[in-house]
Amino acid sequence: MAGDAQQAAALQEMERIIVRYPAERRYILAIMQDLQKKFNYLPKEGLQMTARHVNAPMSTVYSMATFYKAFSLVPKGRVNFKVCDGTACHIKGSQVLINEIYQCLGIKPGETTPDGEFSLETVNCLGACAIAPVLVANQKVYAKVTPAAVREIIKEHGGQINEPAVNE
Amino acid sequence: MKIKIDGIEVDVISGETILEAARRAGIHIPTLCYHEAFGGQGICRMCIVEVKEGNRTRLVASCTYPVNGEIEVKTSTPEIERIRRNIVMLLYRRAPNSEFMKKLYEEYGRPGDITPSDPEESCIMCRLCVRACEKVGANAISAVLRGTEKRVSTPYDEPSPDCIGCCACAQVCPTGTIRVSTMPGKYEIWNKAFEMDRCESCSRPFVPQVILEHVRSKLGPDFTEEHLCPDCRKKKTGKIIADSHLSK
Ligand code: SF4
Ligand code: SF4
Ligand code: FES
Ligand code: FES
Repeated sequence: MAGDAQQAAALQEMERIIVRYPAERRYILAIMQDLQKKFNYLPKEGLQMTARHVNAPMSTVYSMATFYKAFSLVPKGRVNFKVCDGTACHIKGSQVLINEIYQCLGIKPGETTPDGEFSLETVNCLGACAIAPVLVANQKVYAKVTPAAVREIIKEHGGQINEPAVNE
Repeated sequence: MKIKIDGIEVDVISGETILEAARRAGIHIPTLCYHEAFGGQGICRMCIVEVKEGNRTRLVASCTYPVNGEIEVKTSTPEIERIRRNIVMLLYRRAPNSEFMKKLYEEYGRPGDITPSDPEESCIMCRLCVRACEKVGANAISAVLRGTEKRVSTPYDEPSPDCIGCCACAQVCPTGTIRVSTMPGKYEIWNKAFEMDRCESCSRPFVPQVILEHVRSKLGPDFTEEHLCPDCRKKKTGKIIADSHLSK
C-alpha cells in the first residue's frame, strides 16, 4: 500500500515532530499528541523514535500510548465512525449501533477493517443529546440513528455489507 | 524517633515507611505489590493501615507512607479488614488461576460470592515483574492498556529487543503467570527464544548465550574463564585441589 517514498516521507515527518521537543521524558505525552494529530494514530516507528529521542525504554512509551484513550495504535480507516456513548446515547441504544457495525463490518471500538476502509471508536457525550443516539462518520453527523440507518450509512460511504445469515 | 504500631513502641529512622518499621519490629502487615528489593509501589492497597496523628485518623498505604513524626498506627481494624477482603475479592474475580490467589481467597474467608470473569487468568497486576525487569536494567516489559484489559506485556506483544532472558520477572512473580518454556538447548520467555551455550567439556547446554555475552561485556578482557558447566567446573576444581595435595 504505502510506497517506499511515502514511508520515507512519513518517517521524516515523525522526526520533524519529535525533535521539536527537548530530549526529556516529560515531553513523551506532548510528542504523542502531535503524532496522533498528524497521523490519526501512533505509528510504531514514531513511538520507537520518541523512545530513542527522550532516552526512555520503549516499554514505557508503549505503556503510556496504550493507557490513554485519546491515542490509537492502529491507523484509522478512510471512514472513521464515532458512536457517541454518553449517557443519553447509551440509554437510547448506542450499544445496539455498535453491535450493528460489528455485524456489518466485523470491527469493535478501537478497531479498523483489514482493508483500511472503516474504523470505529466510541466517544463521550457530543453535546447533542436531543438527537440521541448520535453517530459521526468523519465530519458528518447522523441523528437518531437506528440499526437500519447504520446499514444505510455504511453503504453511503461505500461499504459492502455482509448480509445477515438467513438463520438469524 | 518512636512511633506506636498496634500499641508496641517501635524505633524508626526518619523517612522510613511504616511497613519497613513494622517489619523490623516483627509486626506483620499483608502486602501484594511490595518487595524488599524494590520498595513500595502503592498499587495493591493490601498494606493499608490506620494512622493517627494528633486527633486525626486516616487510612494510608503503609508501603509508601514515610514516617515523619509522632504517629500511632493500627494495622488491623474492622474497616481495614473489610477493605482487604474487598481487594482480595476483586483480585480473585480478575485472576483466580493461581495457588497464591486461591490460598489468599480462602484465607480471607471466600469474600463475596463471585464467578471469576476469566477462570484462566492469573495475573494480579502487582507489577513486581515490571520492577524486576527495571532493576535488571532491561525495561522490556510494562503495564499495557487500561481498565479491565490492563496486563503486563512487551510492546506490541512482540519479542522485545530489550529482553535479555534473565527470567527475573518470572522468578519474582507470585502467581506463576510468566511462563518460561524450556526446550532442548533453548528456552522461551515473552515469546523470545534464547539459545543456550554448551559446556566445553560435556557439551551440555548450560548458560544462555545472551547472559554469557552480558558477563563478557562487563568483565571485558579479564573474562578468560573456560566455558564449563557447574558440574564440570566442580570436577575440574576438585581435580586441581586433589592434584596439588597429592604432589605435596
Ligand atoms: S526475562 Fe526479559 S522481561 Fe523478564 S526480567 Fe529479564 S529482561 Fe525483563
Ligand atoms: S505477571 Fe506476575 S509479577 Fe507480573 S504483574 Fe502479573 S502477577 Fe504480578
Ligand atoms: S450522550 Fe450522546 S450526545 Fe450527549
Ligand atoms: S503493598 Fe502497599 S500498596 Fe501494595
